[in-house]
Amino acid sequence: MANTTAAATPPKGITRRFHGCSKIGEYEMIQKLGEGTFGEVHKARDRRSGKMYALKKILMHNEKDGFPITALREIKLLKIISHDNVLKLEEMAVERPKAEGRKRAILYMVTPYMSHDLSGLLDNPDVQFTVAQIKCYMLQLFKGLRYLHDNHILHRDMKAANLLISNRGRLQIADFGLARHYDEPVPQRGRGNGEARRDYTSLVVTRWYRPPELLLSLRRYTPAIDLWGAGCVFGEMFKRKPILTGHSDINQAQIIFELVGSPNNESMPGWDSLPGAQSVKDWPRQTGSITNKFNMLGRTGLDLFQKLLMLDWKKRINAIDAIEHPYFKEDPKPMREEDIPRFNDSHELDRRNARKDHLPAAPAGGTVGGGPNGEWTGPGGPPNTGGPWMNGDRQRYGARDQGPPGVPAGGRGGFDRRPPGYENGGPPQGRHQPDWGNGGRERGPGYGGGRHGNGPPPGDRRHILPHQARHGPGGGDRDTYIPSYEGGARPREDRRSRGPDERPGDGRRGSRDSGNSRDGFINDRPDHNRGYGGRDRAGDSRNFGRERRDGRTRSRSPDRRDRNRDRDRDIYRR
Amino acid sequence: MQASPLANFQATVEQLETSGSQLDGIPVDLEESIRFAGARLTQAAGVLLRLPQEVIAQAIILFTRFWIGPEGGSLAEFGAAHISAGSLYLAAKLSAFPKSARSIVNVYAFLDTIPSTYADLEQLWRENNPEEYYVSPGTYERRRSTLFNMEKQILKVLGFQLQVTLPYTLAITYLQALSAFDDPGATDLAKRTFAHLNSALLSPQLLLLTHQPPTLATAAIYLAAKETNVKLPGVDWWTIFDTDREELGFLVVGLLSVETFATAEKAKWADRKVPLTVEEVNAEMDRRQSENAGE
Repeated sequence: MANTTAAATPPKGITRRFHGCSKIGEYEMIQKLGEGTFGEVHKARDRRSGKMYALKKILMHNEKDGFPITALREIKLLKIISHDNVLKLEEMAVERPKAEGRKRAILYMVTPYMSHDLSGLLDNPDVQFTVAQIKCYMLQLFKGLRYLHDNHILHRDMKAANLLISNRGRLQIADFGLARHYDEPVPQRGRGNGEARRDYTSLVVTRWYRPPELLLSLRRYTPAIDLWGAGCVFGEMFKRKPILTGHSDINQAQIIFELVGSPNNESMPGWDSLPGAQSVKDWPRQTGSITNKFNMLGRTGLDLFQKLLMLDWKKRINAIDAIEHPYFKEDPKPMREEDIPRFNDSHELDRRNARKDHLPAAPAGGTVGGGPNGEWTGPGGPPNTGGPWMNGDRQRYGARDQGPPGVPAGGRGGFDRRPPGYENGGPPQGRHQPDWGNGGRERGPGYGGGRHGNGPPPGDRRHILPHQARHGPGGGDRDTYIPSYEGGARPREDRRSRGPDERPGDGRRGSRDSGNSRDGFINDRPDHNRGYGGRDRAGDSRNFGRERRDGRTRSRSPDRRDRNRDRDRDIYRR
Repeated sequence: MQASPLANFQATVEQLETSGSQLDGIPVDLEESIRFAGARLTQAAGVLLRLPQEVIAQAIILFTRFWIGPEGGSLAEFGAAHISAGSLYLAAKLSAFPKSARSIVNVYAFLDTIPSTYADLEQLWRENNPEEYYVSPGTYERRRSTLFNMEKQILKVLGFQLQVTLPYTLAITYLQALSAFDDPGATDLAKRTFAHLNSALLSPQLLLLTHQPPTLATAAIYLAAKETNVKLPGVDWWTIFDTDREELGFLVVGLLSVETFATAEKAKWADRKVPLTVEEVNAEMDRRQSENAGE
């Protein structure tokens, strides 16, 4: 397994321009961080560099369509983006099954290892956030969002658990399992988030972070949906818990309107023509309690908060303007990343495990709500707040390296910080990728599935989500993160050619890295030639995903081959 | 690793020097023939599947990328037809026009019944016999599993790098920038430009792997304008599209040479089939060997 030859013989100058796939043996698995319906996450050390990575397994549940399109899209997307505040996909790693009987290779997505996720950090009683620190995180979040939106990408699953934080104060947006190409003009300074001209699926975003326009089934939504989630995260950082915890979609809308006031033609123009608006009209009028409940944000903080939680998705502040909001210019000034203290590793996964005893058991049930509007029915237990971490059961979670809480980061020294100006992340080059991501089209011209049509959909499958985890092998002790739709019904999958039953069951391969790192954030991002030229290509690495071929190997029929070929090849391959 | 509408991942010098096939002892001319025939096969299958040219072009580029470099796929190990099908399946899957495995298998089964690679199409349609290309459920199962394996092989060899930038839209933008659409011959010019870009996909010089889309678009426009007698600005307009005279000249020659190459290929293979499976490649190698021995 250990790639000793590679270590001994340095790469011989073959630059793999298409590099991006290595053998699992190049990673040393350190601990399993979690296991769930959708996959496993391992913390692993790269044998070549010694750096820590998180390896997320891609499960191939349903091979009816070959390599899961959802994974493919996520990989393709992650491969073309690069920003300090977006989790980077380092490469893919292939594990070749050892047993004869198993034919299929297992694939892992390799991402840098991050010590915390925001959700876990907020639940860690040892961690106190200062306002300056919150500003630092929010700025980073907005910068990441500005980059994504400017590159025509909607994240569509903004939430605290998807925001990973390194022990160097770096925040990164993770989990692009729901992301898609945004086919519209990107947000411009001072002009909100623009308008969409085509339909997208409204079955996105974890419920607690889902904006009102999605709850009312707006299909032509904009990057504003991600900004709503950012607003929820902003409030959550002060409240130290999710601020809008609806137990069903309908309840989610109710508590949103309780907080920010009922929609009317001024606060949310066009709301009453949205598909889901009917029931809202019967609700008592609310004036909103946001100023009372969030007065700890201060005047300007509250102003930003309200602009993020603006019902009118056309006027909701965009990421560009949020970065320039006076809140980030007044005292206390945003902390510099390197000044943020280090904390115990905290992941959303642990947090849920830790409080298992205090919370009522995950809601029983699992029935699929099937009302006429789809969105408005179902028993819907609390949505899983789950994050990019798969959950695992505790026993499996190996011994943790518990550093002393709150040790200041200064003790480590030697940050390999990027030169000043990195925060801007460089202007995204690609404003529009004509060929890219269009696969996510929800609704082709001839769409006849009816799933997202106006007719009764086959139930809003997302209601069952919290229960799905119970099918996991671990039984009730396990609490798997499943996003707001059942695994099989990934919302972007609604292609005409597939019925709901045929959808790949991979669902969300939701997890990222986990565990702890004394390595902290891996800051260097070699943008090219991350190559492991030392790979020995001959033989097994090429057998990836393939059945053992009937004894046919490269070395057959020596008659027509140069005798030295193998040796030559070795030189080449190295 | 930034995405750019103007840049593509390009083959390195090392990748152009040799290939997995050559390391396996496959002669360069045979490799070129197979790559050309494989790209044509992909194009034909894409047309039969009613895929947009954009998707087909991406598939051809994935197909071409697969074979280059010492770490690329070898024709001694993978059949070109299989990789063609895998590339097309993958490209379509990522596009707005996904095709089912069954459709892919059917189309390739049909194309396989064509008696010779450079067959006369007219004659082909006259002799259409559905029984020849019927794929039974059992055969389909096997072929589907092969297709999925090929898909994974492609992903692996390409390191999951599926981003492909094409020069077509860029060419239109450039034509607009040159005010070429004011000319009465603009339609012909645009068609001819696209035709050259399509030829570039089949180029034995792997033009799409060695030159960036802006340069390709510029060269195609330049050539097309000469052919259709549309007058473009008298100045060195190509420089504003990041193309210098030398590169332009090289590409013009490269684009023009595709036709020569294609004619030569057609003559060379006449009514034979270019070997597109591993077995056929082996047979071809044996044939060549015995030919040499007989001399």
